[in-house]
Amino acid sequence: MAQLLENLPAGLVWQGSHLARPPGGILPTGFPVLDAELPGGGWPAGALIELLAEHPGVGELSLLLPLMRKAGAERWIACIAPPLLPYAPALAAAGVPLQRLLLIQPASAAEALWAARQATASGACALVLAWLARPDTAALRRLQLAAEESATPLFLFRTRDMARHASPAPLRLALAPTTGGLRIDILKRRGPPAARPVLLSWLDDTAATNDACAGTARRLALVG
Amino acid sequence: MPWLAIKLPELPLQVFTRGLADEDTPLGVIDSGRRNRILAANGAARAQGVFAGQALSAARAMAPALQLQARQTAREAALLAEIACWAGRFTPRISLAPPDAVLLEIGASLRLFGGMDAIRQQAREGLLQLGIEARLACAPTPLAACWFAACGQDPAAGIDWREALDGLPLSVLGSGTDGDPALPQMLAHATTACSASTLELLDGLGARSIGVVRALPAAGLARRQAQAVGLLIARARGEQPDPRPWFEPPARFSHELALPAPTHHSEALLFAARRLFASLSAWLQARHAGIDHCRLSLVHEGSGETPLDIVLGHPSDDADHLALITRERLGMQVLPAEICILRLEAEHPLDRGAHATDLFGSPGQARNEALQLLDRLRARLGDGAVRRLAPLADHRPEAAWQVCGERSRSSQAKPSPSRNLRPLWLLPAPRAIDLRQYALIGDAERIESGWWDEGDIRRDYYLARRADGSLCWVFHDLASPGGWFLHGCFG
Repeated sequence: MAQLLENLPAGLVWQGSHLARPPGGILPTGFPVLDAELPGGGWPAGALIELLAEHPGVGELSLLLPLMRKAGAERWIACIAPPLLPYAPALAAAGVPLQRLLLIQPASAAEALWAARQATASGACALVLAWLARPDTAALRRLQLAAEESATPLFLFRTRDMARHASPAPLRLALAPTTGGLRIDILKRRGPPAARPVLLSWLDDTAATNDACAGTARRLALVG
Repeated sequence: MPWLAIKLPELPLQVFTRGLADEDTPLGVIDSGRRNRILAANGAARAQGVFAGQALSAARAMAPALQLQARQTAREAALLAEIACWAGRFTPRISLAPPDAVLLEIGASLRLFGGMDAIRQQAREGLLQLGIEARLACAPTPLAACWFAACGQDPAAGIDWREALDGLPLSVLGSGTDGDPALPQMLAHATTACSASTLELLDGLGARSIGVVRALPAAGLARRQAQAVGLLIARARGEQPDPRPWFEPPARFSHELALPAPTHHSEALLFAARRLFASLSAWLQARHAGIDHCRLSLVHEGSGETPLDIVLGHPSDDADHLALITRERLGMQVLPAEICILRLEAEHPLDRGAHATDLFGSPGQARNEALQLLDRLRARLGDGAVRRLAPLADHRPEAAWQVCGERSRSSQAKPSPSRNLRPLWLLPAPRAIDLRQYALIGDAERIESGWWDEGDIRRDYYLARRADGSLCWVFHDLASPGGWFLHGCFG
């Protein structure tokens, strides 16, 4: 029986003990440790991905920098209603193509949701980062659909306590800062539950000091 | 068969039904000359027993919900011109055949569009988008094409079209413009129909079809003042020349659409606006051009109008894109009164440059999509809500970035003067903190700058670690009153 299962063509039958392969493409995260734990070996290209963190600034942008650096020449990186200001000099130093970064600050929560859906569904964005106030399940499902149809990864940043609520997102990660790194708890993925958190490290203690002023970018490049 | 005739049956009615989204509303048009008679009625009205020629009072009794509109001949002429403009996407040789037909000389366009059937199919689909019901027919002469279209016939390619012409009923002879008796004889070729008295005469002679009329002796017809018929038929058969004046498309697009019933529902308005956008799109395609600005005026029932400026980030001729932008604009617009007329105006078409269509999705398409997304976001959220960032050469952290309009060609971003570590997140304004919750790391970076523009700062910046391990950027203000502030997070 086991042999029979082994011989089946890939993708025909999914076995609970294996990680699923998402239907769309895969975008490498830039961190091999994290890739190993994600279904397909990277971010799903067409999916709603929830990143849950206590407060902004835990390391969520650094996590996405490798992806942002690879944004194509004709596609946007849409930042919808960020809680703080993405700092242009630091992003430029990290190699993010700033001319492709769209900073969208809608006046209300409903408009932010609309903008997130438009940006995702248009297929004109390499990735969409959205900070939405309190999207309900129906809105999340629509966002997931839009992401699926346009094969655009939509990263939705939410607070940590949202982990209690169910969500249609196929991938949910909880982020917490560690000393010089990031601890990622995989709350939900298509595959067996993650046994242990993923620990990323981008700044060891000596590097954090100002004398090693090479910048986050180069350090990240070394890690990735 | 190089002539394609587009014949609009019941044009007086179509002027109004064009903007009607649902077909269940009974609608009738009354002649301004004969006020008490129905001139034309739509399907819903006919189903309730209203018919053309019926007395107004009788029609009202049959269908109490009947909406009535007075015939507007000026609007009919404008609609004909609009269709002629639209037809410019198929051929530059267009001729109006008033009152209700447009003729296209498509001999030179056949290869480009892939044959007669392909053109006919595209024309039919395009007219549907304009909201117009039309009969199409092709024939080697303009008059024959017109007659075939009037009868709803379209001679197949295989059969002899002259024979088919002979079979047409007598009534087609009266379907063009009547010859004005005031016109001098030399202009008689402008006549495309014979007078009512001639038709009556022929009918009395027992002629029921063109073929029978043709067989009548010419001398006898001439003696009875009916020689024009022979000339007409000879022209239709291609035995006499039939020169047509070419239609000159206007340099400025301005067309109106009258709504059958005043409304303020944005969906109904959008439905009607789509008709105009389809027309605008064809007008632009005929010029190989695009526009980046047009104005949709919503004319109110009483007086006054609400202009809606539709601005695009780049020249486009895409009707769907225009409709999307309009949807966002309409959603935000507060309308003081109900709308009865839509008017779309556009001028200064911009050259878009020829672009080749590619088998494997061209990179130009991705670029278009990106620009269209930008337009849509700006239309709904406002210009200020969608921005781009660029670094600026300044030592002060809050002055080291700038917002640039997404339309400006961003010059090569100047490198930030500092090569020190900078946070990915900046707080909108520094926030006072209690230093006991932060552990400072490493040495200070002194930033002292800005004495020239009132933005003078003297600060010592440190990396700091919060209790939960996240890194932030704090500074000690050296200027009075001093204190410690949080200015960024490394994120």
